[in-house]
Amino acid sequence: MTRHLALAAASVLVLGLALAPDTLAQQPKRGGVLRIADREAPNLDPNLNISFLTQSWSNMIYSQLVRFPHGPEQKNHSDFSVVPDLAEKWEHKSPTVIEFTLRKGVKFHPKPPVNGREVTAEDAKYSIERFRARSAFRARFDVVQSIDAIDRYTLRVTLKEPFAPFLNHLAASTFVPILPREVEEKFKDFNRPEAMIGSGPFMVKSYQKGAQIVFERNPDYYVKGQPYLDAVIIEITPDAAARLSMLRAGKVDMGHMWGFLSAEEASSLKQTNPEMVITPAMTVASSVIYFRTDQPPFNDVRVRRAMSLAIDRKSWNDAILYGEGCIDVGPVPCALTDWKLPATQMDPGKAKYLVAYDPQEAKRLLAEAGFPNGFTVPMHHNPGYTTPWRTIYDLAADNLAKIGVNVDFKPEEYGKYISTTYLGKFEGMALGPQGNGFEIDDWLFSGFYPEQPHNRSHVADAELNKMLLAQRRELDPKKRQAIVHDIQRYLADKAYYVYLPTWPWHITHAPVVKGFKHHDGFSLGYRLMFTWLER
Amino acid sequence: MKRYVFRRLALAVPTLLLVSVIVFALMRFMPGDVVIRMVEGHAYAPTVDALRQELGLDRPAYVQYLEWVGGIVLRGDFGNSYWTRQPIWDEFARRFPVTLELAVLTILVSVVIGIMVGVVSAVRQDSVSDYVCRVFAILALSVPYFGLAVLVVVLPAIYFKWTPLWTYVTFTTSPLQNLSIMIVPALVFGVTRAGPVMRIMRSALLEVLRQDYIRTAWSKGLPERVIVLRHALKNAMIPVISLIGLQMPLYIGGSVIIEAIFRLPGVGLFFFEALTRLDYPVVQSVNLIIAAMVVGLNLAIDLSYAFLDPRIRYGR
Repeated sequence: MTRHLALAAASVLVLGLALAPDTLAQQPKRGGVLRIADREAPNLDPNLNISFLTQSWSNMIYSQLVRFPHGPEQKNHSDFSVVPDLAEKWEHKSPTVIEFTLRKGVKFHPKPPVNGREVTAEDAKYSIERFRARSAFRARFDVVQSIDAIDRYTLRVTLKEPFAPFLNHLAASTFVPILPREVEEKFKDFNRPEAMIGSGPFMVKSYQKGAQIVFERNPDYYVKGQPYLDAVIIEITPDAAARLSMLRAGKVDMGHMWGFLSAEEASSLKQTNPEMVITPAMTVASSVIYFRTDQPPFNDVRVRRAMSLAIDRKSWNDAILYGEGCIDVGPVPCALTDWKLPATQMDPGKAKYLVAYDPQEAKRLLAEAGFPNGFTVPMHHNPGYTTPWRTIYDLAADNLAKIGVNVDFKPEEYGKYISTTYLGKFEGMALGPQGNGFEIDDWLFSGFYPEQPHNRSHVADAELNKMLLAQRRELDPKKRQAIVHDIQRYLADKAYYVYLPTWPWHITHAPVVKGFKHHDGFSLGYRLMFTWLER
Repeated sequence: MKRYVFRRLALAVPTLLLVSVIVFALMRFMPGDVVIRMVEGHAYAPTVDALRQELGLDRPAYVQYLEWVGGIVLRGDFGNSYWTRQPIWDEFARRFPVTLELAVLTILVSVVIGIMVGVVSAVRQDSVSDYVCRVFAILALSVPYFGLAVLVVVLPAIYFKWTPLWTYVTFTTSPLQNLSIMIVPALVFGVTRAGPVMRIMRSALLEVLRQDYIRTAWSKGLPERVIVLRHALKNAMIPVISLIGLQMPLYIGGSVIIEAIFRLPGVGLFFFEALTRLDYPVVQSVNLIIAAMVVGLNLAIDLSYAFLDPRIRYGR
């Protein structure tokens, strides 16, 4: 018995010793400077520019009322549940009235003209109003009827109608950072380093335009002990090859703010720097063929279905995406796991128009639609997108040619593509990536409701419209999810878009970087709040 | 001479005016819409209209042109960038020293290498040294500078875990550090620009070496070094100087890529980013300023001919 006990004790000890270094290594450590190579934000005012660079830099500086979970809080990198930030709690007083209670004692950075004063409900009101007046994203909050600061710590938002995406939009690091009014009064806007004053985890220490920006730790950040890093330096490096070279040479710890590398870059880096930490992550995005469904030949569902059946998704995935791609893309991107209804859970007879490859059936459908010899169609696209986009254009043309659809390539420079084709201003057909946003409404309502800028296929479907409106008005998450699933079932065989395999980014950083977890969106500050260094 | 300078300066006015019209029109003909480019996929009509109005793009093109040119002529105001919302002149003035330094160092590298190789090639015509020098010139001409720049940055990173990229430091802050940052891009750019300099140098020197006054110098028994360096080289420099003058816009244009790869916050990069973002006022103003500089520089080069060759006179 004693021997058994001794053996058990020894085993526990051995196990403990084996696990201890790992556990210790996972303990966040204070201090150190994280260096990142990336491009320069075109503007520093979060309401004057929607660039992901501006938004990411802003997220270092400003807090929000609510946010998404990050670091150890998140269940995965597309966890879009809402957690408190400056607002410690909120309550739906009615379907259209939400009351937020702000934390007491949260301070702005100790810089003039704000000088570390407390953040109040008036600041939140001012920030939402400024967003609604100035930001190019302002349409997201068209539903807001009024904003009232009830007292120093209570903010009431009244909506025109129930609007399920509201809290999610408020939590996204793209829309409403909390700004102090006196800064705008003094500097006219927030577009200069000395005007970047918020209550977020970092403060601007110095900014040498075109060379580097240094963010230092906010010592008064309301989350005690965080951030762990003393400073974050962004080495401004416009060229992608130069960024990767700096990462290889150890001059930076990350070659991109979010750690993004393409599969090719990651595989090349792994050969020279096997110590790098590389994690593939499917992001909220998709690749699609979109067409004028309001005009022949694509107003015929048989033609659209044929187009979808012509795409050999599995071969694409094996041949150019290293088998890492997601084939079942559909109207809800693969990464939006909380909302996605996989094709396997749908009626196979309908789901085949999302994922199946059947060129014979495609030819039959085309013949039935009056195109036994196929047709020629212009394909608008931007050849400037990074690898593997050019291969994808060729593959699409090749697959479609096999069913008799000949593609007339219409390459467009990015400026033209984004201002015309991407907004549905084109003839025939187009192919490209989509990144509509991080809320399911951005993909369904914006992608399919008439007159919405993301409705690139010109969809106008009365039955669908009812469901699209219903999901954004349903505040119960379970009921809303059921409607979203119904929408996916309904859309499966409509083939308004042809969904193509989508691939992951490879989140890459030096091994000294710990605790860095990718989260979809522009939330650089929240990500780095949980990051530390083991030098 | 004064009259000549005055006339050239007067001629510069219509030239620059024409440049301003062309560049303004070209930007408007570029495909795409700056406002929609700024809001990307989030182009809801009220947002787009409001932004268009805010940037003054809702007014007729001629009004926009007159306001831009009027601002420059009357107030010395080159306008603000649509994207950064900052004054263009401030940004240009802050970045110009970087590009100027890069251009000067590049010219220095290309001229020193080009002249040295060109002189050796001309003096030792049809010898092995001549062939080696000519091969070098062809090589320098054919290797694209941006390709060489990428290789210089990428290859050492792959093989030696080192790359010649640093955070830019101004010359006034630390001259030594600044030069150590600038020397690699200047060498890369300069070596590829040395090819044409060498070719011109060689042919110009060969021509001068065949002239009567050189034959006279030989007959006086002067040593080769004196004949080539003191008597022939100075006169042979005129086409080389003209070439540098003609290549000036190339140095600015080439700086776009060099600055992007070597992380130099210069005008080239500013211009390139503005062009891709359809930032009309920046592209227009930077173009105009550079055009004015090229006009001024060409005048300076024309005036330098008299110094190099006393036979040249500036008539009416």
